[in-house]
Amino acid sequence: MAAAAAPSSSGQDIPAPLVPILAILASAYRSFASALTRIPGSPIVIRYIESSYQNDPWRSILEVLLVAFAVRTLLKGRTRGDASSKNWVKLREEEIDELVDEWVPQPLVDEPSDVDKFTLASVPVINGPNGLRVKLASSGKMVTNLATVDWTGMIESDKMKQVAIDTLKLYGVGSCGPSGFYGTIDVHTKFEEEVSSFLGTESAIIYSQAYATISSAIPSFAKRGDIIVADKGVNFAIHKGLEISRSTIKWYAHNDMKDLERVLQNVEKEQKRKGGRLTRRFIISEGVFENDGMMVDLPKVMELKRKYKYRLILDESYSFGMIGAHGRGVTEYYSIPAAEVDILIGSMGNGLGAGGGFCAGSYHVCKHQKINSSASVFSAALPAMLATTASSALATIQTQPALFTSLQANILLFRQILSKIEPIPMSDTPATSATGLTASAATPLTGSSPSKTPNKDAIIHIPSHPSSALIHIFLLNAPGTMEEEERILQDVVDELLAKSDVIVTRARRLRGQEAFEPEPSLKVCLSGALSRKETEKAAKGLKEALIKVCGKKR
Amino acid sequence: MGRTTRPSLATTSTSTPPTSYSKGSLSSARSSLINVLSRPRLPLTSLSTATALAQSDGQLTPEDDYSTASSYASSVSSSGGSFSGNSKEDNAEEIAKAYRNYLEKPFVNTKSGIKHSEFGHCNNPNWRWTSQWNTDEPIHPEEDLAPPLYILVSTYFSYLIFIILGHMRDFFGKHFAVSRYAHLLPTKDYAALYSDFDSFYVRRLKKRIDDCFSRPVTQVPGRTINLLDRESSDQNEHFELTGTQTRALNVSSYNYLGFASSTGGCADAVESSIRRYGVASGGPRHDANTLDLHQQCEKLVAKFCGAESSMVFSMGFATNSTNIPALVGKGCLVISDELNHASIRFGVRLSGASVRMFKHNDMGALEQLLREVISQGQPRTHRPWKKILVIVEGLYSMEGSLLNLPVLIDLKRRYKFYVYVDEAHSIGAIGPNGRGVCDYFGIDPREIDVLMGTFTKSFGAAGGYVAGTKELIDRLRVRSHAYTYADAVSPAILTQVISSMGSIMGVAPPLAPVKEDDDAMSVMSRPISYGPALASQLPPWLNLPATLLNGTEGRERLRRLAFNSRYLSSGLRKLGFLMYGHRDSPIIPLLIFNPGKMPYFSQMMLKRIGPDLTPIVVVVVAYPATPLITSRVRFCLSASHTKNDIDLILRAADEVGDVLDLKLGEQTMSVEEVIASAEELVAAAF
Ligand SMILES: Cc1ncc(COP(=O)(O)O)c(C=O)c1O
Repeated sequence: MAAAAAPSSSGQDIPAPLVPILAILASAYRSFASALTRIPGSPIVIRYIESSYQNDPWRSILEVLLVAFAVRTLLKGRTRGDASSKNWVKLREEEIDELVDEWVPQPLVDEPSDVDKFTLASVPVINGPNGLRVKLASSGKMVTNLATVDWTGMIESDKMKQVAIDTLKLYGVGSCGPSGFYGTIDVHTKFEEEVSSFLGTESAIIYSQAYATISSAIPSFAKRGDIIVADKGVNFAIHKGLEISRSTIKWYAHNDMKDLERVLQNVEKEQKRKGGRLTRRFIISEGVFENDGMMVDLPKVMELKRKYKYRLILDESYSFGMIGAHGRGVTEYYSIPAAEVDILIGSMGNGLGAGGGFCAGSYHVCKHQKINSSASVFSAALPAMLATTASSALATIQTQPALFTSLQANILLFRQILSKIEPIPMSDTPATSATGLTASAATPLTGSSPSKTPNKDAIIHIPSHPSSALIHIFLLNAPGTMEEEERILQDVVDELLAKSDVIVTRARRLRGQEAFEPEPSLKVCLSGALSRKETEKAAKGLKEALIKVCGKKR
Repeated sequence: MGRTTRPSLATTSTSTPPTSYSKGSLSSARSSLINVLSRPRLPLTSLSTATALAQSDGQLTPEDDYSTASSYASSVSSSGGSFSGNSKEDNAEEIAKAYRNYLEKPFVNTKSGIKHSEFGHCNNPNWRWTSQWNTDEPIHPEEDLAPPLYILVSTYFSYLIFIILGHMRDFFGKHFAVSRYAHLLPTKDYAALYSDFDSFYVRRLKKRIDDCFSRPVTQVPGRTINLLDRESSDQNEHFELTGTQTRALNVSSYNYLGFASSTGGCADAVESSIRRYGVASGGPRHDANTLDLHQQCEKLVAKFCGAESSMVFSMGFATNSTNIPALVGKGCLVISDELNHASIRFGVRLSGASVRMFKHNDMGALEQLLREVISQGQPRTHRPWKKILVIVEGLYSMEGSLLNLPVLIDLKRRYKFYVYVDEAHSIGAIGPNGRGVCDYFGIDPREIDVLMGTFTKSFGAAGGYVAGTKELIDRLRVRSHAYTYADAVSPAILTQVISSMGSIMGVAPPLAPVKEDDDAMSVMSRPISYGPALASQLPPWLNLPATLLNGTEGRERLRRLAFNSRYLSSGLRKLGFLMYGHRDSPIIPLLIFNPGKMPYFSQMMLKRIGPDLTPIVVVVVAYPATPLITSRVRFCLSASHTKNDIDLILRAADEVGDVLDLKLGEQTMSVEEVIASAEELVAAAF
């Protein structure tokens, strides 16, 4: 300011009273200027200011103001907003002490509600090994287990056990370090290569937990400002990944391709209107949905993705190892090369009877995650034995397509029995042979022509895809509250266990924490390793239990 | 800073010990001098007691090496080698010869079934220490670790050069080698999958030293590790394996207690578990995948932590990221240490709670912040916070700093916040009974609301746990994301946790009787809540060898780790390196500063210039994992290292330190002096 104000003393017609003030200003300026010249480099600055003043005094003033403003914002940044904000209340130390004394926090956890107690009490405990036939801790009974994911019977496989023991004798158990720091074990790389060549993608990367895979992979790509178009029915882990990414999220109605296109068009319109730079855009869906067993219409999604220039993130945690002639998932089912899905997620726990998750995609997609996906960078690598058993299971399912034909046969049998109490029952004679179902995409199970007469005895409906071994059973005439519905379903579970020695589970939900509360349902996981008789018995038992509990209620 | 808020810290805690301690043991246990005196100090000549001890352990034969090696020569001579040559070259050759099979074959004869390459044999009872708080040593010393000016300037300068060069390469590359940059450039309709700006650091700085990261390995990450040799012909974009392997001394894995092992009692237990249970868990816990093994493990973990109840998860990262959101939400405040782990930040971000950070481990700053947030309340509305959760780590994995727990607990009483301690690195590694920071400081674990930890480190397994009151855990069981939606822990891994944890605790009965001349401290100072595991709670089919069952081996491991940590940390300080961290921390960061020195440090440790030629693998870390200026190398010690191994690390660091000009502090001892006075260094207060 001095530079701008002081030279004005050389002006003419100065009012008398101003003379002494100007004199003081002038001398202050001189001493200030001489002090300035002692700073190295200052002559240049001074010359610049002087010359700029001569050309345009207003500009000097403006520049000085700008500098002052910049300094102020810098300083303000340091105090982190709070103390200087209008909202800040300045308090004396005693007042703070008082406030501290008065503050009563809520308890860390609130009292458990009745529902919580009911949920906890209804968790079954298994004595001994898990698998298709387990011993319940409560009764000591051996029961058929349709609550555990074991599509191809890997859990009890002796071969897997032997592989695990062999690995133990070479590698020990834990990896004791993240992959960046000596946690990259050769068996990890081997599995990554095997699964990518199995799927036909360029590359793959493994994570130590399937749940963490998708919820960390999404935010490693999608950032603030990016656009994600997501199915409303996606699983909880995806919801969490979306939340973390802070991208702009657009929902489309669950598995509704028309709505997807509508949303994509809207986004396009909006972007055209706004202009701006090109952002990353993703569509997120699941292969087989964890929440209801429906299957994505992949050909349509691929078409839309290409048309509107999106990348596709497909969570195949449930469909990998379950769907397709060799268990490659929905890509195999629809004969679409997996490499065309940009980011494909799978689970080695569900699909391969081991543990952990993986993401398959292009070389850059996987390499990027190795360095930028926090669950991969900041977590210890997968124990070696889970990688080798996954490798072994992968080899098995590749060479034994019979595993999947028997799985599909069991699914068909189960669905036919239950369809008796569905609104539209299937006909008894299967229209397609079991092998035809899995090998070819063109004949989905719906081909077994449903009889046209609506069923008066219908009490349930099953939206799950006819080829899905994950089956969700919803009640048709649900009572008023979800809680009541959950209790009815639990009654069905209990009845089934008591009468038929079969356990299934009510689909467990995190009520209150879900983005869109899924309807209560029963969750059944079928297995190809189950005999036809067992499957039939379980299905019949379940049908009886449903009729008994729900029929009575109405 | 912490000290100012509680000036009489030392006196208060010795005069009024926590209720759960027996008073007599406490005062005597609290000084490092006593720590030395109460140890059995076996004279090197009288082998009678030593022999008895060795034989009772069933590990070593009487010809064991008890010498405090003051030079290579003496450490080798006990194995029968002798040094006649006086000239340096002769000596170097002899040493190289003696060390040829050093990593596989111990210098001592042994009958132990555990491979020396996985768990080193070291039976000298003087090389033991008890990890316990000594009130005379500051918990978080605010050391002045400023490097000389020329280091600062050259460090900034090298970053500047890297950045300028990197941008130039990007500029020219994008114009003249478009194909190689295709994935970074937007195409007509797609934005780049990740931006060149965000990945600049990785492509242009990290890539230069990629050779030091993600080195592929095979087999057990124990005392030694097998590297798969690799080379790159395209400037670290791709690596090809050469087909050869290098066995190297491993100071990189988080194998604190040496439980990463393919042989021994725990491995046998895991084997029989696999035969019974297989490896798969089958799905989420709530969907009928809760095995008896899960419940047994949870009971054991609770007992181990001194808590009422616990739950276990299949991934440590997910333990934080799926449980923090179940505890806090809108209207709650999380106060987080600025250096907290990524998984904690992940969880906090998901929770929707407000977050404030405080300066690393600075309890004064925390108190300042607490006063501010409690008095100001929620932003805009000034409504009081529903609850405040302070999230800290027990032992910080990049800094080696220990949580200032005593002051934190004082603050908690005054400010009524809840405490969440992530003991990922401290559980099993710290404290006279290996029970983490509470054990170390003699604080009742029930003072801490949420105890979290992982099994990936000390227990050689995988996964994590949360422990606390029954109300807390029951609530989390219904609200934790992982319990409902993530896979349960694999039975094989549960068994590794049960057997390793059980052997640290000892199983009652039969717990080892307290020997007359034994260092009785850890047994006596064991608060009631840290009792041994109950045999009835372990799986009935679990067969553990006697040394694991009676807790002697667990105790040995704890003490070996404590000795190793203190020894290396003190030794490196004496050699003049600038070091971070507490001396009782098994994570020992050594400051390198200049990023250009990092690859050299890593490579020179692997391809040694010292006469013994033993390769050593270390972890180097730099920005963004650390602040820009303080690039560092990190040693992670293990109970599986022998004293001789630590000697080698000291020698190697000494060589490299001289070449790379890393001894920026004052060197007060030569490396041979350090090695000769190991026990004194460990016992001495700094
Ligand atoms: C403080 C902290 N918390 C959590 C974790 C994650 O544990 P895990 O590696 O078992 O996923 C780590 C691991 O590096 C850690 O350092």
